[in-house]
Amino acid sequence: MPLVTRNIEPRYVCRQTIPNTIRSELECVTNISLANIIRQLGSLSKYAEDVFGELFVQAGVFAVRVNTLGERVDRLQVKVTQLDPKEEEVSLQAITQKKAFHSNLTQDQQLFCRPSLPLPVQETYLTCNPPPPLNNLSQYRDDGKDALKFYTDPSYFFDLWKEKMLQDTKDIMKERRKHRKEKKDNQNMRTLNPRKIKTRKDEWERLKMGEEFVVPKNDMGESLEGLNGSIGSGEGCYSPDGLDQSTGSYAFDPGSPLPPPAPDDFLPPPPPDMAYHDGQYGASTQKRTSVLSPTHPPPAPPMPSTAPIGTRPNLAPPPAPPPPPPSPGFGIPPPPPSGFDSSPPTPPSSSAYPSPPAPPPPSYQASISPPPPPSLPQGGGAPPPPPPPPPPGPPPPTSGPPPPSFSIEAPPPLKSTQAQPEAPADAHSDLLSAIRQGFNLRKVEEQKEQEKKDNYGNDVAAILSRRIAVECSDSEDDSSELGDDDWSE
Amino acid sequence: MSIQDDPVQREIHQDWANREYIEVITSSIKKIADFLNSFDMSCRSRLATLNEKLTALERRIEYIEARVSGFEGIHRKVLFT
Repeated sequence: MPLVTRNIEPRYVCRQTIPNTIRSELECVTNISLANIIRQLGSLSKYAEDVFGELFVQAGVFAVRVNTLGERVDRLQVKVTQLDPKEEEVSLQAITQKKAFHSNLTQDQQLFCRPSLPLPVQETYLTCNPPPPLNNLSQYRDDGKDALKFYTDPSYFFDLWKEKMLQDTKDIMKERRKHRKEKKDNQNMRTLNPRKIKTRKDEWERLKMGEEFVVPKNDMGESLEGLNGSIGSGEGCYSPDGLDQSTGSYAFDPGSPLPPPAPDDFLPPPPPDMAYHDGQYGASTQKRTSVLSPTHPPPAPPMPSTAPIGTRPNLAPPPAPPPPPPSPGFGIPPPPPSGFDSSPPTPPSSSAYPSPPAPPPPSYQASISPPPPPSLPQGGGAPPPPPPPPPPGPPPPTSGPPPPSFSIEAPPPLKSTQAQPEAPADAHSDLLSAIRQGFNLRKVEEQKEQEKKDNYGNDVAAILSRRIAVECSDSEDDSSELGDDDWSE
Repeated sequence: MSIQDDPVQREIHQDWANREYIEVITSSIKKIADFLNSFDMSCRSRLATLNEKLTALERRIEYIEARVSGFEGIHRKVLFT
């Protein structure tokens, strides 16, 4: 709906109710109309002044530019007359070695943001109701996010785009590294062709033995021939790739589904967060989750353990990009989260669950504050219920909201119940502790990375768009050099 | 008849005159508003063409300056305002 920039105040001159006591109604109407006309003239003059002011400011800016241009032209004139063709030394080397001319391109940024609104429109916005003061509640949040961002987040789309750009740049860098490695290998070892043929036979032989044995040999295959491409390893790699890139050849084993979901739960928080959210808030329209969402529709309780696992491996290598996504624009958890969380867990028995699941899912996104472990109902891994809940780190995104198997305890007693189930699960405790430690380390790293990226801040929207330009340039060597320059900035 | 209707008729005539007066004023207000809008539009379009010419000139001057002063290793990065 287009907004009128300047609205002249009393729109209808004559429409006004006349008090009943007056006798000469016609004259009354006339006088009222005349008064309204005067008001209209007043607002008209105010807007006229506004219009001319804007034009004047723009013209002033141009005048300044014209003056500077004139000065430069004069200087150039003087310099050109001083040029002497004989003095100049033009060497062929200079032409080729010197860098080509790069002009300063000043692109306009932040054109349509709040401060650039014209004054009358800003005043119109001021007359509207402000959003409710939900930020008063953010002190009660465990994950440290702005409560108002769940209601209305003006920077949501920018953050979305920024994450996507970062992800794209990293993916492309990795692809290039892979290509470089492959090329080097191709140059170094020229006996690859026979190898490829052998791997296929080997794989068929492995399959003969039984698919159960495929997993360990896949590792071997990947380590040896992963560089050659995913021919040998691709068959064995069952990875529900939501990612479009060739992340299937990443070192992480898709065979990990075999061990209980416990280790998977402790993957770096951001990817699980993404996966978790994708699985749960499938209805949310976040495009960033397009990276992950295809793999998880809001899964049933038993399923999530396997589905997210597949995607998480792919995300494990780039833990860095996901951290920024969760922390800044948390468009993911807007209204749907609470609603979503409440609806799926209703099947589970306890009614106390809907409330705890709601805070935890968004809570561990930030990975800043240890999310309340007790409140983490994890129904995904039914056999090892204890391992998932205890993790101080990112709770198992797999299980997520539908924790039917766990629906027994209420949130406060959860801590105690965690202690109880932990006792029987001694086999996993070592794993858990090790993973937790590794996790904490990763958390710190990720926080540092997050801080660095926050310091880059939104000023670097330009750099982001430039990086995309880097991506577009397909020449590997040149672009890699440029990319290094960019990264080293 | 005319005597009886005089006060009412006079009132009505007067009312008509007043309304015509008001109508003249409001239509001139509308003309002023219309003029302001079209002036604003034309001014903006002229300023925009001016802006284009200025940027083109600025880029040409930069190039000429670089050539005159011998390409002193100018490798500027893309700036964003």
